[in-house]
Amino acid sequence: MKRLSVIFAALSLSTAAFAGAADDVVVHEPYVRLAPPNAPATGAFMVLRNGGAKAVKLVKAENPASRLTELHNHINDNGVMRMRQVPAIEIPAKGEAVLKPGGLHVMLIDMKAPLSEGQVVPITLGFDDGSSKVVEVKVQKVMPAAMPAAAPMQHGQHHH
Amino acid sequence: MSSERLLLAIVAVLVAVIVGVAVLWQPDAPAPAAPPTLPAGGEFTLQSADGPVSLKDFRGRVTLLYFGYTYCPDICPTTLSALTAGLAQLTPEERARVAVVFISVDPQRDTPEHLKTYVAFFDPGFVGVTGSPAELGELAGRYGVFYQRQPGGKDDAYIVDHTAETFAVGPDGRLLARMAHGTPPDQVAALIRQYLNQP
Repeated sequence: MKRLSVIFAALSLSTAAFAGAADDVVVHEPYVRLAPPNAPATGAFMVLRNGGAKAVKLVKAENPASRLTELHNHINDNGVMRMRQVPAIEIPAKGEAVLKPGGLHVMLIDMKAPLSEGQVVPITLGFDDGSSKVVEVKVQKVMPAAMPAAAPMQHGQHHH
Repeated sequence: MSSERLLLAIVAVLVAVIVGVAVLWQPDAPAPAAPPTLPAGGEFTLQSADGPVSLKDFRGRVTLLYFGYTYCPDICPTTLSALTAGLAQLTPEERARVAVVFISVDPQRDTPEHLKTYVAFFDPGFVGVTGSPAELGELAGRYGVFYQRQPGGKDDAYIVDHTAETFAVGPDGRLLARMAHGTPPDQVAALIRQYLNQP
């Protein structure tokens, strides 16, 4: 996971469109899930850290790989997963919002073409003050060890 | 009713309660691997791209059943990836005795051909099936699976709420366990091993 973080950090070249919330928010470990070639949708996940003194809201996302981009959350209702579009994702002052499998995510809907592993999707994040930021997000085959519930991490042959 | 009869009735109820508690209450019993309230489960025949598939086709194997849909951007791929990684921890002999069946509850969009390509991304051995809304509804009822198309969305872009558990069916076709969404691969492998090695 550590090593992955470094790779993600190295790959995610973030550029701010103009000053504002976009300057305060740093994106860590972004990735788009590599989906089956005929999957109509997939998700993008990332950690949004707000270094600013006031809360920021992510209110929209756009990307050129799919026809529609929405902010979503999952509610686990007694084993039933209910995915819902959310109007905004709040990033507290000096805090973070975690977009991860099973929870908040940017949903890429109606893919224009199948994504391939390693492909970079520029995702534009729009904030509540009108500022925006483009994050170059790599398409990754998601390894289950990186999943939230997989507390005991799997590291090949290593024994802990 | 005479007071004697009333007394008898009360005693009978008390005895029934005490016997019930004595029989059912097992404070020292180990926690069961499967929840005691498993649904009935049972047979089905649904359509795959390669023809009809029945649960009984997998007799002698541990079969993992997952009810989902391919429009699902996160929950279904997370589960299928975890199953793939769990199976990778098994020996080839063990792996040969495990089947994974992805049952689409969204037959309007998920044709058997579409499902075949979708599940092969995770493992070429996974089987993707679906059926008529009536067949799926009846089957879901027996497995305690909930699914419901959400209002809104276009006819090709809607969300389906669905039970995200994986069902483990034993070599004899009996439903043995439910795995919660997010069960890590090593627990998937451990559960499969447990049921493969059961007498």
